[in-house]
Amino acid sequence: MLGRISTVLGLASLLASPAWAEIARVKSSVGAAAIERGTARLPARPGLQLNPGDRLVTGKDGRISLSFIDNTRFSVGPNSRIAVNEFSYDRTRQSGTFVTQVDRGSLGVVSGHIAKSGKDAMKVRTPNSLLGVRGTRFIVEVPK
Amino acid sequence: MIKWPIAAALALLLGGCAGSSLLLLPDEAGGHGAVAVLESNGKPVDAVVSQADSRTRLGTTNPTSRPAGQLKPDEIALLSAMPAPPRNYVLYFIEGTTDLTAESRPVLEEIKAEIARRPGVDVEVTGHSDTVGKADDNDALSLRRAEQIVGVLSTVGIDRSLMTAVGRGERELRVPTMDNVENPLNRRVEVLVR
Repeated sequence: MLGRISTVLGLASLLASPAWAEIARVKSSVGAAAIERGTARLPARPGLQLNPGDRLVTGKDGRISLSFIDNTRFSVGPNSRIAVNEFSYDRTRQSGTFVTQVDRGSLGVVSGHIAKSGKDAMKVRTPNSLLGVRGTRFIVEVPK
Repeated sequence: MIKWPIAAALALLLGGCAGSSLLLLPDEAGGHGAVAVLESNGKPVDAVVSQADSRTRLGTTNPTSRPAGQLKPDEIALLSAMPAPPRNYVLYFIEGTTDLTAESRPVLEEIKAEIARRPGVDVEVTGHSDTVGKADDNDALSLRRAEQIVGVLSTVGIDRSLMTAVGRGERELRVPTMDNVENPLNRRVEVLVR
């Protein structure tokens, strides 16, 4: 029984692995800048690959810039805490869904293929609002 | 007399607490898109911010925009830290081979130079087909082509770990044609340096 469960789990994680494929890469960072993944805290070095669920965290002198595989680009300002809650993307069809949550700080966005792939396929959540991105360049700011 | 400063301080405090704001900017190409406000404080809202260079305070039931005026230093810093837009290159191959055409060989050198310029670079290699055959078959064919070219590029000095192969099939024709039309310009591989 136990054997069967672990086989099922093993299979499930194997099947799930494409979902954990790279969704973005850090292009630059300065100051205190990290990617939080579960309980791990990774320095946001250029080339670091992001997974869905990762959180972008900067201190008062920190910045992170990154590009996603659908060509969305992010610039994260100081004192920020931003989570990529949901990201799924079909590279062949250039469509998907993308939900980012800005808990605090500032986020500059140039949207990519996902925002164009469907109405409100890309969303940004702040503590008091939910935005639907319809293909554009913008900044969201959430003061502490 | 004493009440005014207190009221002002309170307003400032409340203003600070009021929270999120949206600055909608023109696109790099000059046009601009829009951002819809779908919810405020958990309640559905039906508003669309579509005025470029506008500021909108979020969290109200009826979000209103005003002209952005001059950008603040923080905003300028945020925009200038944005990664450069990706660059796209088109490669053509001698029919039925993985040999680059003479015209495409210098493009390969440009690609390598662009990769070297970009920190944290990644490279998307996308195969495109013409409209001959079934769409599904062309998805598979264009992906195989892209994978093949990833192999080729890795032998000429591009780090394999940077590259991803994608097949777009006949979705993005360089030269629009009817179905089942052979076209060498549509059978191509594009290399996006991001």
